[in-house]
Formats: sequence, structure tokens, C-alpha cells
Amino acid sequence: MTTELTFDELAALMKSAAGLTVKPEDLAGRREATFADYGLDSLGLLGIVGELENRLGRSLPNDAERSKTPHDFLDLVNTVPTTGA
Amino acid sequence: MSSLHQLPHRQRRSVVTGIGVIAPNGVSTEAFWKATREGMSVLDLVTREGCENLPLKVAGEVRDFDPAVLIEERYLVQTDRFTHFAMAAANLALDDARLGRADYNDSPFAVGVVTAAGSGGGEFGQRELQHLWGQGSKHVGPYQSIAWFYAASTGQISIRGGFKGPCGVVASDEAGGLDALAHAAHTIQRGTDAIVVGAAEAPLAPYSVVCQLGYDDLSKVADPDRAYRPFTDAACGFVPAEGGAMLVVEEETSALDRGAPVRAVVAGHAATFTGAARWCESREGLVHAITGALEDARCAPEEIDVVFADAFGVPAADRAEALAIADALGRHAEVVPVTAPKTGTGRAYCGAPVLDAAAAVLAMEHGVVPPTPNVFEVSYDLDLVTGSARPAELRTALVLSRGLMGSNAALVLRKSSAESLS
Repeated sequence: MTTELTFDELAALMKSAAGLTVKPEDLAGRREATFADYGLDSLGLLGIVGELENRLGRSLPNDAERSKTPHDFLDLVNTVPTTGA
Repeated sequence: MSSLHQLPHRQRRSVVTGIGVIAPNGVSTEAFWKATREGMSVLDLVTREGCENLPLKVAGEVRDFDPAVLIEERYLVQTDRFTHFAMAAANLALDDARLGRADYNDSPFAVGVVTAAGSGGGEFGQRELQHLWGQGSKHVGPYQSIAWFYAASTGQISIRGGFKGPCGVVASDEAGGLDALAHAAHTIQRGTDAIVVGAAEAPLAPYSVVCQLGYDDLSKVADPDRAYRPFTDAACGFVPAEGGAMLVVEEETSALDRGAPVRAVVAGHAATFTGAARWCESREGLVHAITGALEDARCAPEEIDVVFADAFGVPAADRAEALAIADALGRHAEVVPVTAPKTGTGRAYCGAPVLDAAAAVLAMEHGVVPPTPNVFEVSYDLDLVTGSARPAELRTALVLSRGLMGSNAALVLRKSSAESLS
């Protein structure tokens, strides 16, 4: 994955890793909504982090799996430098 | 629902108000009872993926079960097949009991969950272990941490239903299915109003089957009609099965207050342990279990109208059970009808005795003893009901169970009709 993580991709990951159906536009539009609001538990987010790490071939910061909202998560994932990949 | 501690402990009687079955012979309580009553055998060649060429040839598979229709996707991705069965059965039981969120929204701590489990989630675990060794540790999903676990079904049923009352898992071998019902009754005595209780297992995945191949008493006969014939000279071991049953057990006045259908009384239970595969000793263990359950139920041997036998399927175990019934019930053992409907489905480990308890409640309601499929020439001094169902007035049933690891349990169920609180 060379480009930034999008809400489309996050919605697809929430579906595949945690069985949740969410609309990308809801993720994008509801800035304050938490993962818990969408029904995603901590193990579900851990699964998404693991899947992304496998795709990127590098680790995400430890804080990634503690992100409270999809917006926080994208901000964190997309601002991490891609050096060392 | 009524508040806690409304009645003194002794008077908090446990009654069955709902039955949910997911079994090889039916994925609803109605289908299960129809097949059970007709003595239909659904034992068949194993077809589950990856199991086709293993030495276990015959089993009781739950077919026509589509978990995606019955369980939300968010629960499906994090649970094994054994939990799918348990969640689906729990839903059926809650519907049957007409126990909905409106009944406990204001008192979620009044409802708990108890399951028994023999092996946990083998299929899910195998898949993740294949990821581990095939692709590496980073490819093991986090839900592996909960899906394989014995407690998974209790946890997921409580989360899905919003049940915040006492929850537990009984891991006491196959007879644990009956111990779970006793645990539910004790929990109700201590003040909880309702428990969703039972067991379901999914032992037909390659890893799980290979684990069972080490059991000397596993039947490897390839003919479905001959693979599991307890109490006959042809007994050659037991056949495993998938599935199980969940019941709703409630404090009686609480059930009556909300107009719930009271199906049967959980009247007495006792359990003993006599060592793994020591079938001769299981005679004494079963006698103590039966005697203890009768005392607990304040029930005389003569009051037992039907016995649902463990019917293990090897001669030493069958002989021990026949002798135990005679030892514990005395002269009454010569006349009481005995049945083992599980010969038509196989033994679903902890699910098996709960299915028998469900069948016992249904048998009392319908006034018939269901038969023992595939068994014809009985070699022991038992009035084993074979061929077709036998009409009988049934007020009290005795359910027996044993496990490969040495547990023995007995449960007394009574018909619910107008017996006053004593």
C-alpha cells in the first residue's frame, strides 16, 4: 500500500476483520464518532492494525490500536513516516 | 422480572420455560422432537471438510445449519462453530420461553448464562494455527484469543443478550451438561431469576477428530446402522456428534408472574467421579449419582417413570449402567422404561445430556417414551424402548450421563403440573 489509508479502506477492514457494515461516508462525516459507537471492540481494532501491518510490511505505532475514533486512527496511520519499509 | 431474594432459598424452585435445540436430527426443537419421537437415525458418513479420509467414518453431523442466517456477522467472525450452535440454540430457547429484552431491560443482573463445554472451538483454532505455521504469527487473528476457549459460548450469549447476571462454564466432562443445569438451579436458589443454560459442541473438524482418535472407545465402524449400538452384543463404541441444546431455567414464581410457560421442574441432581475409562467403577459412581439426585428431589425410586440412559456403547460401560440402574432403583428397575434416543444422533459430548434433558421434558409433555434407534436385541436386564415410541404417563424422568474422563451425573426432572411449593 503506497497511498494513504482512506475511509473506504477502513470500512472494508472493519467488515473483513470484525464483521461490521459501516458506510465510508459515515466514517468520514462523523468526526466525533468512536469505534465503539460502530460496534468495534478492542480485539477488532487489533485485527485491523495487524492486517494493515501485514500489508505495509512494517509496524504501526503502539498507539494505533488505542485510537478511539476512525479519524484519530487515520491521522495516526497516515502521518507515520514510511522510512525503513 | 421480580426482584431478587423475594423468597427464602429453599422455595426458589427452578423450572424449565424454554427449550432450544440445534441437533443432527433437527435444527429446531420441533424438528428434533419429531425425529426423536419417530426414532429416526441420522447417523451418516462424515462429510465435513478435511474429515472425509480420517479413521472416524460415522458421526452425527448438523446439516442444514446456516449460521449466517441466524447470527449477526459481527459475532460470526469472532466465534467457532460450537458457539454458533449455542447462540442459535439460546435464541430458540429464549423465543420459546418468550423471554425478551422487555422482560429484563430494567434488571439485566437477574439473568445469567451457564454452559458446559468439552473441547471448545477446534475448527477456529485449527484455522488460526494454520495461519501461524503457514504465514507467521502476524497472521493469527486476535479473536483466536477468545474463540477457541471453553467459555466462549457463555460469554457471547451474555454479550449478545445483555445478560449481566451470574455467568459460568462447567468443564466437568460430558456429564457436565447435567452439572450445568444443576449449577443454574443453584444460582437461582441464590437469587438470580433466570439462567440461559446448556451445551453445544462442534467436534467434527479435522484437528478435533484427530484428538478423538486416541479414544479407545470411539467407534470406527463404517456402517451408520451398526456403528453405535449400546446394550447389544454388537456394541462397538460410541459415535460422536455435533450440536446440543440450550434451556431457559427460571425461578418458578418469577416465571409464573410473567406468564411464562412452565415446562418442567429441575428437581434434583448429583454427580460423582470414578476415573477415566474405568467403566466397572462407573457402576458405583452412577448409583451414588442416582441416589443423590433422588434424595435431592425428594423422590422415591418408584416415582421414576422413564430413564434416559447414558448408553455409552461398549460392553463394560453398558453392563455397569444396567447394573447401576438396578442397584439404585431396586425392583422398580425391572419395570421402568429406559431409552437412549442419542443412538440416532450420536453423542454430542456435553451437548448430549442436555439434548436428553430436552427430550425428557418433551416426552413428559407428550406422554410418550421415544425409542432407541438402531438397537434391537437388548443384552441386559432393562426394559429398553426400541422400535417405536411407547405411550406412557410420565411425571418424573431420570437423565443419566457419563464422560470418557470419569464423570457420572444424574438429573431428576418433574412434570410441572400444579405441584405446590413444599
